[in-house]
Amino acid sequence: MEAGSCGPPPGCPPGVEERPFRSASGEPLALRRRQHSASCRELALRRPRLQLRSLSAVTSAVWLAAYGVFVLSENSMVLSAAIFITLIGLIIYLHFVKIDQESLLVIGSLGIQLTSSYASGKESTTFIEMSRVKDVVINEAIYMQKVIYYLCILLKDPQDPQGVSEVVPLFQSSQPRLDCLMEVYKSCQEILDQRKEAPQSSGIK
Amino acid sequence: MVENSPAPLPERAIYGFALFLGSWFGFILYLIWAYVPETWLFSLGLTYWPQKYWAVALPAYLLVSVGIGYILLFGINMMSTAPLNSTNTVTDNYAKKQQQKKFQEEAIPALRDIPISEVNRMFFLPEKGICNSR
Repeated sequence: MEAGSCGPPPGCPPGVEERPFRSASGEPLALRRRQHSASCRELALRRPRLQLRSLSAVTSAVWLAAYGVFVLSENSMVLSAAIFITLIGLIIYLHFVKIDQESLLVIGSLGIQLTSSYASGKESTTFIEMSRVKDVVINEAIYMQKVIYYLCILLKDPQDPQGVSEVVPLFQSSQPRLDCLMEVYKSCQEILDQRKEAPQSSGIK
Repeated sequence: MVENSPAPLPERAIYGFALFLGSWFGFILYLIWAYVPETWLFSLGLTYWPQKYWAVALPAYLLVSVGIGYILLFGINMMSTAPLNSTNTVTDNYAKKQQQKKFQEEAIPALRDIPISEVNRMFFLPEKGICNSR
């Protein structure tokens, strides 16, 4: 497999391509593309980890505000409450909010697996069987005051062969830009095309 | 269709004049309520009219509501756009029920809603060619 536009970075095993992209809000993302076999591909989008400077900024702001309230109200519980709030808020943020990596594993005959890894190490996965998948497309939608591109999986409608029963949006927290979405789209379409070419060899219908 | 035109009619002239007189009457009544001292109104026997505080409060409330209404309407509009996981972003009832017209040689193809998979292939997979996506 050829190297990416800037060569595989150190720490990347051979056969893995990693390219830098940007999210819709401007933060740097890294798309890692790995081909396990002819019909199995894994695409992982990595976000920047929690920065020490933003953590210190938020902690200082909360503690300074609590100190200001303490000076005004002479109640020392405010200071302990601020410490508790900062600690518990940080734990909740790392475990439930901060997503470090979102990955898409496409196995041609089996299905598609979506994994979100949180900063605390928690991973939440969703698996969609290939028989339910109609297509993977780049959709444009109005989101608040702007129009965004996002990748989504269209699920088949059991009653209507041409219809779409459900739309599953992907990479919701990374929100990559269109160039990254096109890369992921092309990779997925190469795998999905294989199931159309060989319908008699696909196992589960 | 003639009944739906906005052209002037005798009935409309009468409605307009009644509304004109009514609004002038309402305005003069409001001015009397706001400016005439309470003692004069009591001596006339009108003791159960609302407090004069409302003569200033109601217009203030009304203007603030109009201002908030602009912002609220904009916000409701933004919130009622379809969420990203709804099928309304890719299709709707008219597109599902559309009829496929037969393809005629050398004629412009009929207008139809192209499914999103085809559109994506045309945009993002140029090497496939347009003829393959049928």
